[in-house]
Amino acid sequence: MQLTMHHIVPDYLQQSLKGRVSAIWGANVNIQQGELVSVQAPSGAGKTTFVQLLYGLRKDYSGNAHWDNLAANTTDAEALAALRTNHVSIVFQDLRLFGELTAMENIEIKRCQTNTTSTATVHEYLHRLGMSHKTDAKADTLSYGERQRIAIIRALMQPFNWLLLDEPFSHLDNNNRQKAIELIEETVHTRKAGMILADLNANTHFAYTQTLIM
Amino acid sequence: MSNHTQHKLLRKLLLQSGGKLRLTVAISTLVAGTTLLLLSVLVWWNFGILLSGDAQKGNATKNYVVIGKLVTDYNMANVAGNTFSPQEVQDLHRAPQVQDVGEVIPARFAVYAVIGGRLAMATDLPLESVPDRFLDEVPEDWTWEPGKRQLPVILSSQFLDVYNYVFAPSQGLPQLSRTSVKAVGLKLQVGGEQGTTLSAHVAGFSEYLGSVLAPPAFIAYGNKTYAQGAASEQPSRLVLKVADPSDTRFAAYLEQHGYTANPQNLRWSKMRAIVEVVTTATGVLALLLMGMSTLVFVLFIQLSITRAQQSLVLLGHLGYSPRHIYQFVAGRYIPLIVATMLVAMLLCCSMQLIAAQVALRSQLILPSVPGIPVWGALGISTVLLLLLISRSIKKAISH
Repeated sequence: MQLTMHHIVPDYLQQSLKGRVSAIWGANVNIQQGELVSVQAPSGAGKTTFVQLLYGLRKDYSGNAHWDNLAANTTDAEALAALRTNHVSIVFQDLRLFGELTAMENIEIKRCQTNTTSTATVHEYLHRLGMSHKTDAKADTLSYGERQRIAIIRALMQPFNWLLLDEPFSHLDNNNRQKAIELIEETVHTRKAGMILADLNANTHFAYTQTLIM
Repeated sequence: MSNHTQHKLLRKLLLQSGGKLRLTVAISTLVAGTTLLLLSVLVWWNFGILLSGDAQKGNATKNYVVIGKLVTDYNMANVAGNTFSPQEVQDLHRAPQVQDVGEVIPARFAVYAVIGGRLAMATDLPLESVPDRFLDEVPEDWTWEPGKRQLPVILSSQFLDVYNYVFAPSQGLPQLSRTSVKAVGLKLQVGGEQGTTLSAHVAGFSEYLGSVLAPPAFIAYGNKTYAQGAASEQPSRLVLKVADPSDTRFAAYLEQHGYTANPQNLRWSKMRAIVEVVTTATGVLALLLMGMSTLVFVLFIQLSITRAQQSLVLLGHLGYSPRHIYQFVAGRYIPLIVATMLVAMLLCCSMQLIAAQVALRSQLILPSVPGIPVWGALGISTVLLLLLISRSIKKAISH
């Protein structure tokens, strides 16, 4: 599944982008499946907007972005749902967990959608990220770092061609960050998927094939 | 297992915000509304059966109506004008509820009956004939041909009642059963002094004709042989076989054409008109209640979904399609609605069973299972309710 973008500019950045050079906004970008892409930008440059418009959550922009032939701003709710269930997975910056559900239930509600990952794998991932003892805790009671790890595991519970990560390690210590990176790298590699990671600074978390400065 | 877990989680996210008490109230209201609606149709349907005469056990007379033209101060001198023309008879065939029309032919010759023995009495006898198909029951020997000395007659049961309860006590005579009356022999002097004498016997009783009936062949022969003067060939009375004599359209037809009928039949039609007003009013009330209970249920669903709006949005972000969510929510509420309708129908069936048993004590037969109109009302209201609920779920989800 190929990602192509042509002259994308969010409406709210139309004025402020004049005279600025960006590898994403207003540019033509082609990314092949299997690439590991780092998107770097300071706060307020539109990283989250970029991730969300690729995921079909925002439509307030000019230009176009396509996952193969499917426009990211499609209004076909069923097509968008199929894209999110089978082809593109995400770790939101604000995580978006169900506060009233437990850590395990938050993972299960994603896993049960396609049932392509076993519960044994869930337990293995929880163990690897040091969250086994928190499975029955409600998401609302977890720390931000704990919730971040649950959101990462949830994103790995579905089949995907692309994994979108929006500042996924912002609240993780070095040790837990490394564990999460290893888990993500392994899964992305196994699935021959592509990955786009948006972060504030330059990083060497993964062996990126492209770095796009926003 | 995964499907079960998914349903459990979706239920937790989308349906628990409605509250069990609210759901119970919404369902109870819907059961009450639906039951009232079905009961009003049930009542209307049962009254229809009772008033049409179909429920009268072993008595078909309700479906025969004898009509004549209203004799007034203005037309009483014009005997010929008070008969039915062939066109009027033809028109009556097409009147509401009328299935068959027969002529009641009166004897236009004198008949004098003499009963001997202990009963010893003599009286003029008003004879008439109707086609055999209009008799309550055709007696076995109901034939006559010129030259035959024995004449069977059918007596109005009202005559026997008058004899037994009025005449016999006043004269010190014994009361008579129907069987004993049939055994009594009569001498008939037919056609006056120049006529002939016949033997007669009572072959049966009529419930709806107030005169004495003789076989049509005898009346035709007597009118041809003994009648004096040129009386009209047109009938002055007609007997109608009517599907539902309580139909107000039938009563209106008679009134519009100036025909008179058995007051009992007209009373049924008046009662029917009142019952129709009452059941219509009940039906309107039931429809209002049903509408309100549907509204309560729809609002309950919308409130539940609105309260779960945040979860709904997040499920969409995780890739749950609107169709999937709709199927889940509808899958929870639609069986409840179907169960509600079944409970209401079950209550109606029980009521019908009770009504049938109560009616039987009054010699009336009502079906023990509700009829097609009630099932039709159930079907229509279920389909409408499902469409409405389904639409409101889709609307709430799409918001």
